[in-house]
Amino acid sequence: MAAAEARAPRPLPALGRPILIAVALLFLGLFLVLPLLAVFVQALAKGVTAYAAAIMDPTAWAAVKLTLLVAAIAVPFNLVFGVAAAWAIAKFEFRGKSTLITLIDLPFAVSPVIAGLIFILLFGSHGWFGGYLQIHHIRVVFAVPGIVLATIFVTFPFIARELIPVMQAQGKDDEETALSLGATGWQTFWRVTLPNIRWGLMYGVLLCNARAMGEFGAVSVVSGHIRGLTNTMPLHVEILYNEYNYTAAFAVASLLALLALLTLAGKSFLEWRQPDLRHAARQARDRTRREIT
Amino acid sequence: MSIALRGIGKQFGEFAAVKNIDLDVPTGALIALLGPSGCGKTTLLRIIAGLETPDEGHVLFDGRDATLWPIRDRKVGFVFQHYALFRHMSVFENVSFGLKVKPRRARPPAAEIRNKVNSLLELVQLSWAGDRYPAQLSGGQRQRVALARALAVDPDVLLLDEPFGALDSQVRHELRRWLRRLHDELHFTSIFVTHDQQEAIEVADTIVVLNRGRIEQFGVPSEVYDLPTSAFVHRFLGQVNELPVQVRGDRAYLGPIEISPASALGSGTGGNIALIRPHEIEIGAASAGWPAVVVAVRVIGPIVRLELCAEGQPANEPLEAEISRERYEGERFSVGQKVGLRFRRWQVYPTGGAAAALRGAAA
Repeated sequence: MAAAEARAPRPLPALGRPILIAVALLFLGLFLVLPLLAVFVQALAKGVTAYAAAIMDPTAWAAVKLTLLVAAIAVPFNLVFGVAAAWAIAKFEFRGKSTLITLIDLPFAVSPVIAGLIFILLFGSHGWFGGYLQIHHIRVVFAVPGIVLATIFVTFPFIARELIPVMQAQGKDDEETALSLGATGWQTFWRVTLPNIRWGLMYGVLLCNARAMGEFGAVSVVSGHIRGLTNTMPLHVEILYNEYNYTAAFAVASLLALLALLTLAGKSFLEWRQPDLRHAARQARDRTRREIT
Repeated sequence: MSIALRGIGKQFGEFAAVKNIDLDVPTGALIALLGPSGCGKTTLLRIIAGLETPDEGHVLFDGRDATLWPIRDRKVGFVFQHYALFRHMSVFENVSFGLKVKPRRARPPAAEIRNKVNSLLELVQLSWAGDRYPAQLSGGQRQRVALARALAVDPDVLLLDEPFGALDSQVRHELRRWLRRLHDELHFTSIFVTHDQQEAIEVADTIVVLNRGRIEQFGVPSEVYDLPTSAFVHRFLGQVNELPVQVRGDRAYLGPIEISPASALGSGTGGNIALIRPHEIEIGAASAGWPAVVVAVRVIGPIVRLELCAEGQPANEPLEAEISRERYEGERFSVGQKVGLRFRRWQVYPTGGAAAALRGAAA
């Protein structure tokens, strides 16, 4: 077994390469390009006027605004959390560090529906804090705060996960040097740490943003589906679809898809700008895994 | 600025990195902390810098207790083995960093900063590189930038953590001499950490040898090299041959060579061992001394190293002797040749207990 692995890989026969490429392209076409095209084709099936009307519909517009609002709250929140957590994990030694790393991954492991139910359990009218909230007339569940909370929960690993390997790979020599040269902690962060992690940070923000706008499961549980009030774009698409309003459903879906495509374009741009970023991050991540196990 | 350490101790979990360290570094000294990896030398340096807080003991700067001062108030320049240059800044921006982060009222005007940085870059012979980025420089150049950056804030103390450890030997040699000159010109107090005994001997005024978190010996390089107080220091500073001391009757011997009365030996539990440096072995005619056979000859520039198998010694543990190239050119020792050995100097250490060393030299 070991001897077989040690042997150099045999070069592929002449036909192997085109076949492999064809299979990969076919797969991508079938499962990615075709559905994406279908979204736009369906959206525009009844003409541009119908498409525009579907998007200009007040409830659709409200869903767009809510989605952007939720992302605008959740992403900065997770930005702060992600940087703080990554900083603590990468630059300090403390008890329970590996537990913290595992906990950060929790939202990846937990089904989004359960994430939503957690908040119902906590803040719903029969939940732990439900009584208190009712007395003070604060609405969390079936309102914007609940949607924001659920979105934050689901998206908080993205930025931290992206930064931890980058920061671990860089060590703390740079920060210690800056301090020894007389910089304050704040100056060190802005002038040394942040520039060192900027590409990883932007990448994490993009991923976090994409998920925040696209999240369905957790948000669906806490939203209450009040049209024009607590429907985000993914929820609105579902409602329209269930009402057999295909054109409108696909019109809103095309907007979401467009946002996703923009995010991907941004990600490609970052990777193109910083080709060694992914490589360095991957190396550091492998190293972390080895250390943990 | 003078630095004094009083009873410094630091634990990392179960591991005691340094234990009860007392050390005085007078103003303007250039001191090497020397020891194998894990001996606590870097921890000690980081404690002086303020990058670690000791669990016990005090750090005194000019007699004032600085144990809890934050690093930015200590006026120390710290240079890392891997340079730690800010990679997103040009060389000029790196060197000017310490000046630009000063609070507004203490910050020099831009023109003054520019002049200072330019003169520092000249000092480290990199005036052409101000616009370059660290990635465009060689290792030796990067380390010179790191030094210029540390000097920009006029530190009272320069601390260097294995500063030349990542460089190839030619560049190392150059930078060592350069650091020594720089120190002599600028008169700051410097402490550098190294595991390379040659570097310590070449550069430092005083060598502090550390082992397992404690100071083994402290002194000027020649003293530490010639008069080691323990077998550890003897082995760590340069090459040694080790020979068991045999006691026959009331006399002590190395092979057939008598070295002292048995009563002069320490009463260690595991017997005694003699350490002899390669240049302390005298090679003569086969008729005199300890009979031996030359088993290998290697010419290394100005010196020639001979491996000698002495009679009664295991064949796989030949003694190493060094002679000058000139002598070798005259006598032409060859493999298989029979010779007689004498020892010019030796030092005997008990292998078990911690009794004092016994020094000896041929009359």
